[in-house]
Amino acid sequence: MTRVEKRFGRTWALRGTDLTVPEGCFQGIVGPGAAGKSVLVRIVAGLMRPDSGSVTVLGEDVTQLGEVALQKVRSSIGMLFQGNALFDYMTVGENVAFPLRRLMRLTEEEIRERVAERLARVGLGGFEDRIPASLSGGQKKRVGIARATIAHQPLIIYDDPTAGLDPVTASKIFEILKAEQSGSGATVVAISSDVDSLVKYTDRIAIMDKGLVHFCGPLSDAYTHEDPFVPAFLSGEYRRSA
Amino acid sequence: MSRMGDAALAPVRSVGRSFTDIALQTGGIAVLALQILRRFFPPDIDMRELRRNLYNMGNRSVVIVAISSFFVGITMVVQATILVQELGAYSLVGWGSAYIVLRELGPVFVALMFSGRVGANNTADLATMVVTEQVDGLRALGIDPISFLIVPRVLAMIVMCFTLTVIGDAVALGGAAIIADRMLSIDIYVFWKGVRDLVHMWDMWLGLVKSVGFSVIIAMSSCYYGLNVSGGAPGVGRAVNASVVTSAVGIFISDYIITFLIG
Repeated sequence: MTRVEKRFGRTWALRGTDLTVPEGCFQGIVGPGAAGKSVLVRIVAGLMRPDSGSVTVLGEDVTQLGEVALQKVRSSIGMLFQGNALFDYMTVGENVAFPLRRLMRLTEEEIRERVAERLARVGLGGFEDRIPASLSGGQKKRVGIARATIAHQPLIIYDDPTAGLDPVTASKIFEILKAEQSGSGATVVAISSDVDSLVKYTDRIAIMDKGLVHFCGPLSDAYTHEDPFVPAFLSGEYRRSA
Repeated sequence: MSRMGDAALAPVRSVGRSFTDIALQTGGIAVLALQILRRFFPPDIDMRELRRNLYNMGNRSVVIVAISSFFVGITMVVQATILVQELGAYSLVGWGSAYIVLRELGPVFVALMFSGRVGANNTADLATMVVTEQVDGLRALGIDPISFLIVPRVLAMIVMCFTLTVIGDAVALGGAAIIADRMLSIDIYVFWKGVRDLVHMWDMWLGLVKSVGFSVIIAMSSCYYGLNVSGGAPGVGRAVNASVVTSAVGIFISDYIITFLIG
């Protein structure tokens, strides 16, 4: 994305943000609250239009596309929402099968097999008939991950995948995300407020504050970056003072 | 002076704001209606969702509509008992009941029940889906929420409100016939003869036309307020309230308009 701006009334969410994510990498995005992380990924996913700037996703400038063309781009993106966005009235199996039923022409047998395989991959084998309301927070996240990755989209976006989870469960979730990405080779963009956990699993990190990307690159370069905010944020100095 | 002027203008501003709100909401509902209509050319309807909504909206409402309609039918005859006895107008009880139920009471009563039961539930359901990002979840998968969520619900509401009106009319007339037999000793054959001889087919069709009109109003307002919820969980309650009030007002206004135009 290049020089992307987004404003809500008088509040700036993104002020001329630039970000490039190389294909096939696990890109983490971190930053303090209200840094503009969620707005950024919603714009990348085509769920929100920026006020200005260009956003190229999978070779298409999504800011120039109409709703129908945008739907095609969106169907190439898997997304896990902060609140999971599982459909309450569907079972776990139906939730995970949903993208396959809507986006692909598969037989019911093939769908069942892929759902069972995907749920087993996230450690929820045999949970097909459960309803989302009966699951714990971590289990719901796993179902969300299974749904986001089942159609093997080339771009997967995770919006704060460990929000509200305890540290042990959060680590397990990140391990699943990393294993998924390594196995599929998809490009992954994950934003998280759990900085210390996320940086262990990502190839690259972007650090945002007040609608701007202060750093984007390999984690090793971040600690010696010239912008004092970057090493201060990563070391926890900034977060403690805030 | 300025403060006094402000105070004097406050009621005017309030009225102006109300009109602006009503205009915005009416415009929003009209835009949603156009978006829904566009999905029919070519038809893009998720049959699985349609079946699920038909079941949820119809099956779960039929008992409550039947029970309520039965009591509406018998109450109507109980109210008329003294007058009928005084005038000796026993042969007109069937006609009077059918005329009122088919043309007016049946469709309006069922629509209000339907709005409270199904419309409110629909608004709460959609609003919760918006608040919990489920609608964004659909969009993120490249699925059009209007085609997938709204069109099946609107169709199911129209079909089910019509069906429930037919059932409600029949049960209300059944109740009226039974109570007329018990309280006024009007033979059920005499009751039905009054219905058959004096009630025209048009009386029934008018009621059914009304029920379709009412169901469109309920469907549109419940979907509009559900999709346009704001303010998180408290907003869901406000959306339900706005949807039920708008539906009720819309039902009464459209009842007058339909009756005036074709009744």
